[in-house]
Amino acid sequence: MIDVAGIIAENILYIAMVTLGGMLISWSVHFVPVGGAPAAMAQATGIGTGTVQLAAGAGLTGLVAAGAVMAVSDSFALVIASGAVGAMIMIAVTMIVATWVYVYGVGVPPASAKVDYDPITKDRQDIYVSQGTEGHGLPTVSFVSGVIGGALGGLGGAVIYYSLMSTSTTLSQSDLVALASIFAVGIFFVNAVIPSYNIGGTIEGFHDPKFKKWPKAVLASFVATLMCAFVGILTIGGL
Amino acid sequence: MSAGGAGGEATGGIPQNQLIALGTLGGLAGVYGGHFLSVASPAFAFIGALGAICAIVWGSAAVRRVASYGLGTGVPSIGMIALGMGVVASMFGLAVGGIAGPIVAFIIASIIGLVVGVLANKVLGMGIPIMEQSMTEIAGAGTLTIIGLSVAMTGTFMFDAVLETVVATGYIAVIFIAGGMAILHPFNANLGPDEKQDRTLMTALEKGAIAMVIAGIVATVVDGASAVPSILIGVFIWYIAFSKYVKLVHRDAYKVLGTGLLPTEEELE
Repeated sequence: MIDVAGIIAENILYIAMVTLGGMLISWSVHFVPVGGAPAAMAQATGIGTGTVQLAAGAGLTGLVAAGAVMAVSDSFALVIASGAVGAMIMIAVTMIVATWVYVYGVGVPPASAKVDYDPITKDRQDIYVSQGTEGHGLPTVSFVSGVIGGALGGLGGAVIYYSLMSTSTTLSQSDLVALASIFAVGIFFVNAVIPSYNIGGTIEGFHDPKFKKWPKAVLASFVATLMCAFVGILTIGGL
Repeated sequence: MSAGGAGGEATGGIPQNQLIALGTLGGLAGVYGGHFLSVASPAFAFIGALGAICAIVWGSAAVRRVASYGLGTGVPSIGMIALGMGVVASMFGLAVGGIAGPIVAFIIASIIGLVVGVLANKVLGMGIPIMEQSMTEIAGAGTLTIIGLSVAMTGTFMFDAVLETVVATGYIAVIFIAGGMAILHPFNANLGPDEKQDRTLMTALEKGAIAMVIAGIVATVVDGASAVPSILIGVFIWYIAFSKYVKLVHRDAYKVLGTGLLPTEEELE
C-alpha cells in the first residue's frame, strides 16, 4: 500500500497548483464567446459550437504546446507561457475563421445583442442585430474576450501539466508524460463542463451579464479539482 | 450541439434500477472475467469489451434521464465529464488497487461524481432533481467503460501492463473519445419529442460495438489479448444492433421515404 500522508506532504504545493490550474480553466471558459447551436445558424453571437468543444480545442492545444516546451526546458515560466500562447493562437484562429464564415459566407455583420455599444471600439451594435436573433458573428469585444479566455485556459492546463510532471515519482519519463497528459486532459474536461453548466451553454464574453456568475463556477471547480488533484498526485507519486 | 431535451424527466422503458444493475454487475463481471480468463487464453480478452458495453448502455441511459431535463448546454458535455472523471478515477484505482483495482476505481468515481452532482445543484443552481444520482452513475459508467476497453486491449487490468500498452502508447485517447461518444451520442442522436428508450439504448449498444472493434484493432499488436475474437464479435453485435436500430426508426417514424439520387444538371433546368 502506498504512503498516502508522505506523498501528500511531499507534494502539497503541486496539489495546490493543480487546483489553481483547474480554477483558472473554469474562469477562462466564461471569457470564450460560445454561441452553441443558435450561433451555428448565425442567430446568436459567438462561435457556433459548445463550450466544452471550444475549451477542449484551445486548452488541449495549450497542453501540447506546454508539453513540447517541457521536453526541452525545465523553466516553469517558459512552460506556462507556451501553454497560454498555444491556446491563444488556437482560439484566435478559430474565431477569425468563424468570422470569415459569418461575414462572407452567411452574410451577417458581427454584432452583439447584449450591449448597445461595443465596450472596446465604441461601435453601435443594436441597429446591426437582425430581427429575431440574439446577435451574430464575433464583434471585437467578443474576439478580445475569447483571446483572454484562451490565455487563461492554456495557463491553467499548463500549470496542471507542469505540476503533475514535477511530482516526485519513480516512473520512467515516457510513462510519466503519458500519465500526466491523460490526467491533465481528464481534469481539463471536468473543469470545462462545470462552467458551461454555470453559463447555461452560451455567453458572449466578459461584457455579457452572465459573466458575473463566474465565482460560482470557480468555487465548484475548486472543490472538484481538489479531489482530482489528490487522486492524480497520489497515483503519480505512489508509483 | 443541441440544447438538450424538453425539460422533464424521461419516462418509459426499462426501469433505471435494472440498468444500474446491468451496468455495475455486467461491467465488473466483464472486467474481472476478461482479466482472469485471459490468463488461460488471450482469446478471452473480448469479455472485457462486453463489460464495457454493459457500462456504456447504462451510462447512456443515465445521460438520457438527466439530459431530458435540459442541461442548458449540449448533451456532449455530459459524456466528456463522464470520461474526464472516469479517467482520473480509473488510473488511480488501477494504480493503487491491484486486484481490487476496478472496484476501487468504481468507488472513487462514484464519490467524485456525487460531489460534482451536488456542486451542480447546490452551487451552480441547476435544479435538476436527479443530478446527484445521475452524475454518480455517469462517472461510474465512464470508469467501467475505460477499464473494460483497457482489458480488451491488454487482457489484464494490472497497472503496469495498462500503463505500457494503453496509456504510454496514447490509445487511452482513443478509449476516451470512443467511450465518451458511445455514452453521449445515443441520446444526442435520438432526442426529441418522439424519443424512445429502446431506440436510444440500441444506439448505445451499436456504439459500444464500434468501441469494441476499435479495442480489437489495438489488440492486434498486443501479446496478452487476441484481436480476432474482439473484432468478429464486435462486428456481429454491431450488425445485430444496427439492423434492430433501423427497424426501431421505421417503427417510430411516421413514414420513411427514399428521396432518390441527386438530380442531374439537365433535370434541374
